[in-house]
This record gives sequence, structure tokens and C-alpha cells, in this order.
Amino acid sequence: MYELMYIARPTLDEPALAALNERVDKLIASAGGRVVKREDWGKRRLAYPIAKCTEGFYSVLHIHLPPTAVRGLERNLKLAEDVLRYLVTRIDPRLAPDSEFKQE
Amino acid sequence: MEDTPTSAGTAPAKAAPEARPKNNTTPRRTNVRFQAQRVPRLCPFCQQKVRTIDYKDVDLLRHYLTDHGKIKPRRRLGTCARHQRMLATAIKRARHVALLPFTMQTL
Repeated sequence: MYELMYIARPTLDEPALAALNERVDKLIASAGGRVVKREDWGKRRLAYPIAKCTEGFYSVLHIHLPPTAVRGLERNLKLAEDVLRYLVTRIDPRLAPDSEFKQE
Repeated sequence: MEDTPTSAGTAPAKAAPEARPKNNTTPRRTNVRFQAQRVPRLCPFCQQKVRTIDYKDVDLLRHYLTDHGKIKPRRRLGTCARHQRMLATAIKRARHVALLPFTMQTL
């Protein structure tokens, strides 16, 4: 069980953002993973500029993914121009009860 | 650091008129920087039996940063080694995804 957070470029319009999100979902699916939960935080101010952007679209996903597929997923995210930043963290299943999402 | 050190480092805590909890550790260092740091005896995370610290919980993490955006040291927070480590990891993750700043200018 992993948690994936990524920040999309703020200049994307509505359909472009939807397309990117769908692309990420497909990426996970093709890597043999399954999206358990998806939460889009919308546009949020960055604490410091990344690639000359001061804002970004945040998305947080809980995914089941084979451990060997993580590297491939990260490489794909790194190559995606519209993804400013991403972070994959492991969720400890023993501590899962308190891993429910906070509402923004 | 920001706390002004009380004079006479050997004076017992009852002499200080501060409302902070009494520090029961004997000061070993004479450096002013380490003096007069009234640290709570029990780790605040242990008291609440915290098992994980979420990097997305920005409001919580902010609390543990100095005005410059640095992670507050253990001697100021009174956290145990384990929880301080969890806290540091969470803050560093939050910094990576720009939820928290690496530095804050206070000029």
C-alpha cells in the first residue's frame, strides 16, 4: 500500500488536468496497481516556487502497487512535464486505521 | 536561543518566575545556548500515544518549526528520539512537496 502525491502545473486548464489525472490512473493500472482512494486538493499555494510556479494542483492517491512497479511509476512521473513534484510513501498496513484522509 | 537565559545557571527552578514546567535534568553544559531551556519531562507525542506523524498535516507540523523554518530541536520540544525522528521525516517530506518552506525570511 502506497500513497502517491503529485503536484500538477497550475497553468493546466480543466480538461488538461483531467487528462493528466487519467493518465496517472492508467499508469498505475498498467503497472499492475489499483487506486484505492483518490483525492484532488485543487489549486494550492506552494511554500516556495517550483519551476517558476507559485501554485499547483495537488492530488493524493492511495494505491495498491507491487513493490517492483514503484520505480517505473516514479520514472514515468519524472518524465511527465506537467508534474512539478511527486512523492511516493509507503503506508504501514498496521497503522492503516489512522491513514484516512484529512478533508482540506 | 530566543529564550533569554536566566542569570546564575546553578539557581534552582523555583527561583525562576516562569510558568514553564520545571526541568529535572541537571545542566551539564555551561554554554548559554543550552541554559534556561525548560523542557517538558514527557514527550508530547508519547503522551498522546502518537504512532504516525502525517506529512500532510501542515498545521501540526508548522507548530514544530522555528520562525526561520528550521525544525525545532529536541531540547526545546522535549520529544523522545523516536518521535523527533518521525517528526523530522514528516517535515522533510512536507518540504519536498512544497507544503512547508525550507526557509522563511524574517528581516
